[in-house]
Amino acid sequence: MRTDVREERLLVISDLHLGNPFSQASHTLGGFLEYALERRFNLVINGDGLEILQADIGTLAHASAGVVSGLRRLLEADRRVYYIVGNHDIALEHLIGSWMGDNICPFLNVRSGDQRIRIEHGHLYDPFFFKYPRLYEWVTKMAGPFLHVRPELYTFWIRYQQIKRGFASLVSRKGTQQPTPFHEGAEMLLKRGFDAVVFGHTHKPEDLPIAGGRYLNAGNWVKGGTYVEIDHGEVTLKRWDPKQLTG
Amino acid sequence: MAKKITQNEFERVCAPGEIIVKEGSPGREMFIIRSGRVVISKRVGEREAELAVLGKGDFFGEMSLLEGQPRDATARAAADTKLLVIQPGGLLIRIRRDPTFAYEMLQKMSGRVRDLNAWLVRSMDTGETTKVPEATRTLVGFSLKGARED
Repeated sequence: MRTDVREERLLVISDLHLGNPFSQASHTLGGFLEYALERRFNLVINGDGLEILQADIGTLAHASAGVVSGLRRLLEADRRVYYIVGNHDIALEHLIGSWMGDNICPFLNVRSGDQRIRIEHGHLYDPFFFKYPRLYEWVTKMAGPFLHVRPELYTFWIRYQQIKRGFASLVSRKGTQQPTPFHEGAEMLLKRGFDAVVFGHTHKPEDLPIAGGRYLNAGNWVKGGTYVEIDHGEVTLKRWDPKQLTG
Repeated sequence: MAKKITQNEFERVCAPGEIIVKEGSPGREMFIIRSGRVVISKRVGEREAELAVLGKGDFFGEMSLLEGQPRDATARAAADTKLLVIQPGGLLIRIRRDPTFAYEMLQKMSGRVRDLNAWLVRSMDTGETTKVPEATRTLVGFSLKGARED
């Protein structure tokens, strides 16, 4: 298992949740993978690429078929694909490992240009996940059947998160955005010699200066299409536009 | 020069050539390099042998922190260097808030055991070492009986 690599051109995507009824990744990701191939980027899937907590293996196999072909084309063209394990795909670690070999990992430390970048899913900094792991798993699994019936529940959940964050900012003394546990986790990492930290998990794309470095969140491909591009040490949060494909 | 970073960690700034820790001296803290370079060396007979040059993100001094034993090697700043200094209690708090740090420490120590195993096998093959000290056997998880039978 490799956790320290040098990569000059790398794209990072998070939270595809392939197999989940609310995920649009199987429809939107194909063009992006072609773009990675065309522009000679290597790729990191930063956790929750596959969904096994809220979907059965048959649905997952069907939803991931196109994406798996795209990934195979990248590998056949000698591009590297790294898979970082998240909390919705951890049960599939051994299966993904049998396909990805050395390139499946719990986190990735990347040297690019003169920068040191940590890429990690980020669920370890989610207070609900680490304080009540069993309850978290139970609640997530229970939500699965409801999502199959009413996929728009995902949108309500995202709205609820936004309102909660807005309310927290409103009642805070400064009236500004308060650091979340994810920002605090990133700060701990930045203090030990990383220039940038890239998480996923929250589904919220972010790019913030923290502790003399940067915290980025690659967002999601469930309803969105954001990614982080690393090019010779330059780290940028971007939104995918199919017009980027020239071929 | 030391600057407090959190309740449990502080920053130390070192000038080029400054000795950070000296072999044989007592010490209970470990260091993570935030910027700069550090040379690790050890006395071998009359000369000082350079073991490694460490850079940003690397760490050292964890053996003294974990075992409370004197420093096993000397560390010297090779450039303007900023270090994050961690005490034993602070390490536990860091691991609680930054759990992958424990993974990286274990990875590094596992690598050392692997290197030591390889060195031991090479030495025994070439006849340089026939008797493996008990402590080394424990460290590398080696069965001396098995090794002799081989």
